[in-house]
Amino acid sequence: MSGLSSGTAAGTTPLPHRSVANIRSPHTSGNTNPSTPSSSSRPIPSSTFGSPSSLRADEDILILELGTRKLQIGFAGDACPRGTVWFTPSQLRRVGDFRDWSSESKSNVDWKTKKVTGEKWWSRDHELWEYDVREVDLGLIGDKVDRALREALTKYMLIDSRPRRMVGVLPSGLPLPMLSAVLDSLFSRFQPPAISLLSSPVALTVGAGVRSSLIVDLGWRETVVTSVYEFREVSTNRSVRGGRLLVEQTHKLLAKHLPENQKKKANDNAGETEDYELSFDECNDITTRMVWCKPHLSSPKAPKSSDGLPTLHEQDESGVAPVESSTDTSKTVRIPLLSCRSPTTIELPWEALAEPSENTFFDSQYTESSFDDHELPLPLLVYRSLLQLPLDVRALCMSRIIFTGGCTNVLGLRGRIFGEVSKLVEERGWDGVQGKGADQMRANPKLKGKRGSRPANSGPSGVDSPSEGASGQEQDGVWHDAANTAHDECPVEEQLKRGQDKRPRVQGKMRAIESVGAWSGASLIAHLKAAPVSTVEREAWLQYGAVGASKPSEVDQKSARQSFGPGGLMRGSAASNSWTLGVWGMN
Amino acid sequence: MAPLNPYTYIQCPCSDSASLGRPTDLTSPTSADGDEDNTFDPRAPRANFSLYPLEYLLYCEDCHQIRCPRCIAEEIATYYCPSCLFEVPSSNLKSEGNRCTRSCFQCPICIGPLSVTSIETPPPSSTLLSPDHAATPHSTYSLICSYCNWSSTEIGIQFDKPNGIHAQLAKLRNGGASRLTAKERKERRKELSHRGGEAAVAAAAAVAANESSGGQDVDLETQFANLKLFCNSQLADPSAADNGFSSLGDLGFSSPSSLSRIMNLYTGGKLHDPRAKSKLGAMREALAADEGLLESNLNESSLITRLHQSDFLDTASSTQICSQPPNLGEPHLHGASRFNSSLRPVPYLLRTKRSKRCPVCRHIISKPEAKVQTTRFRIRLVAGSYIPSISIRRLNLPGPNGPAAPAILGDLLDPLKPVHFLLTFKNPIFESLKVTLGAPATTPGRFPSKVTVLCPQFDIDANTDVWDEALKDNDRESSSRSRRRAGTESQFQVEVGKIWERGRNWVSIVVEVVPASLKLEAGQDVLKEDEDVLEIPMFVRIEWEVENGGDDATSGPGRDKDQKEKRELAYWCVLGLGRIKQG
Ligand SMILES: [Zn+2]
Ligand SMILES: [Zn+2]
Ligand SMILES: [Zn+2]
Ligand SMILES: [Zn+2]
Repeated sequence: MSGLSSGTAAGTTPLPHRSVANIRSPHTSGNTNPSTPSSSSRPIPSSTFGSPSSLRADEDILILELGTRKLQIGFAGDACPRGTVWFTPSQLRRVGDFRDWSSESKSNVDWKTKKVTGEKWWSRDHELWEYDVREVDLGLIGDKVDRALREALTKYMLIDSRPRRMVGVLPSGLPLPMLSAVLDSLFSRFQPPAISLLSSPVALTVGAGVRSSLIVDLGWRETVVTSVYEFREVSTNRSVRGGRLLVEQTHKLLAKHLPENQKKKANDNAGETEDYELSFDECNDITTRMVWCKPHLSSPKAPKSSDGLPTLHEQDESGVAPVESSTDTSKTVRIPLLSCRSPTTIELPWEALAEPSENTFFDSQYTESSFDDHELPLPLLVYRSLLQLPLDVRALCMSRIIFTGGCTNVLGLRGRIFGEVSKLVEERGWDGVQGKGADQMRANPKLKGKRGSRPANSGPSGVDSPSEGASGQEQDGVWHDAANTAHDECPVEEQLKRGQDKRPRVQGKMRAIESVGAWSGASLIAHLKAAPVSTVEREAWLQYGAVGASKPSEVDQKSARQSFGPGGLMRGSAASNSWTLGVWGMN
Repeated sequence: MAPLNPYTYIQCPCSDSASLGRPTDLTSPTSADGDEDNTFDPRAPRANFSLYPLEYLLYCEDCHQIRCPRCIAEEIATYYCPSCLFEVPSSNLKSEGNRCTRSCFQCPICIGPLSVTSIETPPPSSTLLSPDHAATPHSTYSLICSYCNWSSTEIGIQFDKPNGIHAQLAKLRNGGASRLTAKERKERRKELSHRGGEAAVAAAAAVAANESSGGQDVDLETQFANLKLFCNSQLADPSAADNGFSSLGDLGFSSPSSLSRIMNLYTGGKLHDPRAKSKLGAMREALAADEGLLESNLNESSLITRLHQSDFLDTASSTQICSQPPNLGEPHLHGASRFNSSLRPVPYLLRTKRSKRCPVCRHIISKPEAKVQTTRFRIRLVAGSYIPSISIRRLNLPGPNGPAAPAILGDLLDPLKPVHFLLTFKNPIFESLKVTLGAPATTPGRFPSKVTVLCPQFDIDANTDVWDEALKDNDRESSSRSRRRAGTESQFQVEVGKIWERGRNWVSIVVEVVPASLKLEAGQDVLKEDEDVLEIPMFVRIEWEVENGGDDATSGPGRDKDQKEKRELAYWCVLGLGRIKQG
């Protein structure tokens, strides 16, 4: 557990200590810069860093997780990051610009920004990534990372500026140009000798103690469902239903309850653009404080079943009881608002505070076919993600569902999604929809029957032990069948699995587990000295940039064929002299 | 929109494209009508990251270059707590974290400092009758905020001792339940394993299982520790290692694709021991809470009920939640973190005093006094001592229709009406400076204002000693310098190519500006934030001569002009002149 000091694996050549003296300062890059005629000829002393501390900087590995709205950083081996820095509009200001914005001008800025950029969202300045390719300013992303990381290092890490190895934890769907911008910024501004990359789904999986999982990332910009099988990402599905939409919906709700005299004057062209009555910060705040999600049974699709289906068991019963008994519609909530024309307090029914999450994540008033693939309600998104998986993978993943992301804080949301997915599984089984999984099912009617008749028996809290009872056997059957029919597994892998896994695994039933989180998972991986998806060395990057990376497919043709879809399967280089950008190098 | 005072920002030369490893391409825009492509646009979003007020910039005397916070190397001189001002040894940082471990806390509600206060236990009713109150000593303590009156008793936390609060708090959950810290757990395990043998391992597992009571109660720190322990034990297990390595031995390494297929996680580059590749691969998954596997409790109905009964102010704001350090002592909170009752006192973040070096020549350019209590510096080469400062003042010249009204500070600028600004450059160094200015004829952006620098080239006298100056003044009394002093500025006309006024080590010049009209044409987007601010980018080049042999050379009497070395420095700056009137 004290392995922090030995961050490089035994047998690895320790990196030569890089002093900051090696920084290629732009000013010395030659006579192209007319401003410093004398500095270009100045020799750079090769002395090492004369630090009073005896600690070797490259013994600390920094784990850096970049999300849409925040950066988290800490030392490898720690249980949690030491600091979190949020991306905010004030970070985009000049140094020394301390203008404080009144709430009024704040909301002005919000909606003005929105209008000017034509961007649908008012929250852009709160985000790091820009997924709109037309708008994207890669240098700006690099600058944002630079500034946030600098703040984190100074305020939370309290370390000097000697170069340190870094492990970057990144969403696996990150477009390559943005990954490049981040690496450019890190390598040129912080001089790490190398940066290793890990995808957050894999880190989350390790952080839950499992090898396979279904990561349901209830994120800010979108919800991403990723299935991980044996530490590999095998499929990814997305829906725009995320935190940003939730805040938008909360704004709608609050604006609706604003007294008329508090509303802003309708604009001349109000027809085209919708004005915002309240500031982003305030809506964001109220969302995290007050918004909740109704439990599963109250959804219209599921009339309270008197037929005694043991579906959602204790969870729903207990979930319904207090809420229903207290949903005296008379209960109202008073919420103070500051960013409208003048501070006021509105009163709205408690029930109404469940509307934003209802509209954002479920939209159950519409039929299933009316949704595009990128806007699926979350239960459907999760169900379809499972459905498309091969049997054996699905059996493992459905028993290792990991909810993560900011929207897990919406009270009741995880339980609701879990409940509805369980219900979909129960109603439809794994059949009836086109897809690989279904094909495999059809190819094996025995399985189909089995699976269809199987009750989705266990709830989240009442999980049967894997070794116990009928379900265990049944799943065992599924597992072996699948392994025999659908697979070209190499014997080594098989051998390895058998050798290690003497105890049966929980599979085939819905179960949710907790991960310590992507950052902490990455910290654990670095602590164990397991190699990450990809490692980029500074010299190589500065020389070649992203172009220098081998395409993972070039390096590993065989596994490329086993991909479940474009960009889905994580692979990397096994040849020691080439390097890849892992999943990110494939798009 | 509020008016604004004129300001100056300087762009550190490190922030051009060269910062990304490509060679610098800052072609000289010194000609007044510089190449459009090279004109620095202060409104570009990236510009905000490279502009600094002069006070934020340092200077390297050896490289003759400006150094900003982005192009400086830092070393830590001292770590200290800003509350108790105790110095913290650097070795503690790694083990104890980045916060004060004494009794320094901030209020979770208002970030005010918390103080330890004894809780007066109400005396038993019987003592009221008895004359002496001796029976009730102060037995417990709480943290109290003197600003907002928050007390740690609101989260159910009280302390037995008035000191060492940090350590006591680590053992308490909100509500008052005690917990084992990671350290204690580790020690307990050690103790057990010292007793030796298999039994000890089993006992250790039992300890872990007991304290986790079924998994729902396992806090984050424990889950992480359990995972770590589990992984380490798996990797240490000789049978696991055998299986992992030997089975892979021949097949694996000669067949990279199957290897990478299995060990996909470990597709690292050459930094890693290839044998590390099999590490996680040799592990089974965690199966119980004592191995780090936790099932989710998805039933949040009691929390929803709690929210239902809560007031808006019973919940924590996002600012309050963000200033909370990660709470490792609780199970996964998810939505429960929103309640005020989940907040914890915030231990003060430690701070550092830092020395700064030039990253190129390694010279120290800023070094603080070691003592925590003082904010002084032993060395501090601020850029303001090396490059001229620029101050801006609006100049009111008589218009064609008689004298102009006096300019009011922060007055809005009338669109399309020429207006004059006085820029005063002050030379801080002991050599005279030659200054060359370049500004685009129109400001970049949607609303181009016309800019004319009336005198783009001039010399500023050295910042000589005041006594020298007094002597010299006698000699040059009749020079142009003094002519402005004779009357008020409104008596003078601006002249192209002439400076406005000159002083000992300063020169004022005039810039004429015709502010753009901010009228929006049909279909144009509304004004962006600060788009009404008239900002002009200006390229400043300063040249000066020093004795050959550098700044340190003593100036002898027989020095030769040929021995002087020419120096120059060039950078962009941004002058914020004021807001343009809208509509
Ligand atoms: Zn700089
Ligand atoms: Zn302290
Ligand atoms: Zn307070
Ligand atoms: Zn230097």
